[in-house]
Amino acid sequence: MTQSIYEPSSLRGNLFVVWDELVKNMKFLMAYPVIFIFWALFPILWFIPFILQGQAFVGGLQSANFAQITGSGEYIPFIVIGAVLNSYVNTLLYGMGENIRREAYQGTLDYVFAAPCNKAYVLIGKALSESVSSTIFAASQLTISALLFGMNLTLGVLLPVFFIVILLILGLYGLSLVLAAFSLMYKQSHDVSETIGYIFYVFSPVRYPIESLPTGAQIIGKLIPLTYALIIVRAIMLLGTSLSAMYWEIFALIIIDVVFLLAGFYMFNWMETKTKKSGTMSHH
Amino acid sequence: MEKNKEKYRLREVKCPTGVNWTNLRAELSAIWQSNIKAWKIDFAYPVSFIRQLISPIVFMLPYILYGLVLIGGRYSENLAQLVGTGDVVAFIFTGYIMMGFIGTAVWAMGFSMRREQWFGTLEAIYVTPASRLGQVLGMALHSTVHQGVGTIMQFIFIYATFGLALNVSGILPALAIFALMMFALYGFGIVIAALSLILKEGWIVSDSFYSIMTILSPVAYPLIVLPTLAQQASYIFPTAPALIGIRTFLIQNYVPEVVSNVFLHLIILSAAWILFGVLVFHLTDKYVRKRGMLKKF
Amino acid sequence: MVIDKKGEVFSIQTINLTKRFAKKKHRGVFGFLRKNQQKNKQKDDVTVALDKLNLSIRPGELFGLLGPNGSGKTTTIKCLSTILIPDQGTVTVNGFDVQKEIAMVRASLGMVVGGERTLYWKLTARDNLLYFASLYKMQRRHAKKRVEELLETLQLSDRADERLEDYSTGMRQKIAIARALLHDPPILLLDEPTLGLDPGFSRQIRSQIRELSEKHGKTVLLTTHYMDEADQLCDRVAFINNGKIVAVDTPNRLKAMVKEKEVVEVAVYCPPPDIEKQIHSILPDAEVVKLIRGDEDEGTPSRIKIIGGTTEEHIGTIIDALRHKNIRIGSLNVGVPTLEDVFIKLTGAKLTEGGIR
Repeated sequence: MTQSIYEPSSLRGNLFVVWDELVKNMKFLMAYPVIFIFWALFPILWFIPFILQGQAFVGGLQSANFAQITGSGEYIPFIVIGAVLNSYVNTLLYGMGENIRREAYQGTLDYVFAAPCNKAYVLIGKALSESVSSTIFAASQLTISALLFGMNLTLGVLLPVFFIVILLILGLYGLSLVLAAFSLMYKQSHDVSETIGYIFYVFSPVRYPIESLPTGAQIIGKLIPLTYALIIVRAIMLLGTSLSAMYWEIFALIIIDVVFLLAGFYMFNWMETKTKKSGTMSHH
Repeated sequence: MEKNKEKYRLREVKCPTGVNWTNLRAELSAIWQSNIKAWKIDFAYPVSFIRQLISPIVFMLPYILYGLVLIGGRYSENLAQLVGTGDVVAFIFTGYIMMGFIGTAVWAMGFSMRREQWFGTLEAIYVTPASRLGQVLGMALHSTVHQGVGTIMQFIFIYATFGLALNVSGILPALAIFALMMFALYGFGIVIAALSLILKEGWIVSDSFYSIMTILSPVAYPLIVLPTLAQQASYIFPTAPALIGIRTFLIQNYVPEVVSNVFLHLIILSAAWILFGVLVFHLTDKYVRKRGMLKKF
Repeated sequence: MVIDKKGEVFSIQTINLTKRFAKKKHRGVFGFLRKNQQKNKQKDDVTVALDKLNLSIRPGELFGLLGPNGSGKTTTIKCLSTILIPDQGTVTVNGFDVQKEIAMVRASLGMVVGGERTLYWKLTARDNLLYFASLYKMQRRHAKKRVEELLETLQLSDRADERLEDYSTGMRQKIAIARALLHDPPILLLDEPTLGLDPGFSRQIRSQIRELSEKHGKTVLLTTHYMDEADQLCDRVAFINNGKIVAVDTPNRLKAMVKEKEVVEVAVYCPPPDIEKQIHSILPDAEVVKLIRGDEDEGTPSRIKIIGGTTEEHIGTIIDALRHKNIRIGSLNVGVPTLEDVFIKLTGAKLTEGGIR
């Protein structure tokens, strides 16, 4: 009796799918070392104008108004944390949609979706590879910024930050599934992910405390997972607050994660079925 | 199969070539049509088009809100000491509107050839007698108008939200400075367009230059805040002197950080960048045709 | 036009045209840590795409350039169209040097490339043609008239305002041909224009090509690896292999190089991989024994071509040998030489093969 070489529904088989997808995407990334170096370094240039702006407007390294609103007057670490986390979010969001679009452009998407494995694990593999690369880039940016601007990066600070980043990623996974769903059907995930990026950028406390926004804008901001991640991470890194003291924000972040994940899986399955029926999967 | 040799005839070339008025008109027409083509492709992606119209506001807003939060109001004492005016909104608005036009040079123009490669039409364009530079200049025209619309939208938004006090009498000289700046930026954009053909990851070149120029241009802070070396480097690019000049005319009580003849500086920069750009483009054109790199993406 | 010493006129002429490309080896991110292999480093670093290519095409001629993938057809077209700068040699198109009079060369020709995206899919057919008309420096009103004429001729007037993304591949190729004809150039370069098209569209395109040459007197250089296409259409055919011209003549004279009695073609099913060796052992005098694999799932059997002076006399031996090996024979043809037979005889390679033995 011939032993079957297929393990269509075993956990082991599915984990191999995740692993192979991760390895494939990392190989793509390593095939472009210039891109790798770019993302590890250049986002720092994007927030330098804000630091210089701060020095021009307040004439020093501390802002009294910032201290009044956030508890810390140090606007430079405030900006750095916002920039690194925002860059992290953008590379993750943009990366997922573009990953799917790249498969379609190369003509491999049909084959991926015709394979007997569970597609969710393919997407998990893609999301994981984007997370790994985004984490590497964010770590690089944070390290360089800490050296340039004198920030405290001890293990006691980094471990709770890492936990919050994982919670943030879960919520973003859900959002990336929504983008992947759009990419399947409408082939313009780039615009959708950019628009989401705009909303995050304006309504989340990336460059300024959320309290400085009008009330209506603050409500929108509080529906975004990045908002809570930024508030918690800044409290830990700038004010020395412990994780346990931020339980309300952590709870809110978890609730948003669950909502985004459920919405993401549902939308992706629905779009996948719709795309298969309409036969537009490989169009690009 | 045998053919009647009398059927053979060589027809003369019908396209205008050489240095004459007919050829110049034809080249200008090709530039205009490249611009129209870009608009038509833009309208084919309506979501992207709308997003690009609002993005100037989206990216300017954090600068203003951040500035207001830093000082807890609209007036900055430190800024007033540096440049004579403490109105952060007027300062940032006049600076930020330039950023869109930096984008004209590095993204719209810089990426024009790459975009054609991505469409698959670059070789088809290369085979035509129209100048390759026409493509780049067509995109320059398209992007300048696009940014112009964005600037008007920014002005309406800022005026409605924060109020804005500018010197109306300074608009004409400010526009003259703006025009000179654009000529120099066009020359710079041609250089980026040439480089993006050679380098596989051309967008990195565009993004890097955009970021560097943004830092070296006094968009959200006076030039004097930069280290001395960076201040000197900023004068190679047209945006720094242009911004200082424009603010001098548009903002009341504005004391320019550096006293110099902005008009002369920009005329020299325009000539230099245009000549340099055309030279680099011509050399790169030959290089990519020698190496067979036109198709590569 | 170019007039040579004998007083002959040529629309296109290449003399010792040479083009080399540097090879780029991807050794991975950490490849620089591995030892470099120094053996034959210089030789391995360069691909010679065109090796002193000499080509002369008369005005009004429909000239075919036939060769397998990688033989240098597209590189030749690119050198003629000024997209590539030759490393050595001279190239003239319509009497203009491709390196010194670039604008005149570009104004003299229209180019069509098969099987690729070369148009703006987000624009309509009319918009595409009007845009390229401006790049050919046509006056606006003249361009509009010309575009309407071409759309009418191609029977696409009723779909002219639809975006190309909604067109079929064949229709897009028609628009690509229309683009090449906008400015009524005397010379057309057609690089595998029927690649990827279904038989119906391919027939239409070939018919148009023939009309352009016969009725309108255009000089057409057609590159293809479809021998039937070259055989049907071309006044003269050149075989290109390894960047060199192997033979040039009319299709009939080329086929006459392989005498009828010299060609035997046997259609077989599931031939073993060493069938060529086996037949060579039975017929040591055969010049060429070539297995051309078919797609048996699609019902196309493989073909064994045997070319040699005494092949016809040994048909019985061949059939017995195949039967002895339990190879099922589909059919047997004797003495119908094709251009592919000539190519195989001259080079030993197939027209449908990538690369050369």
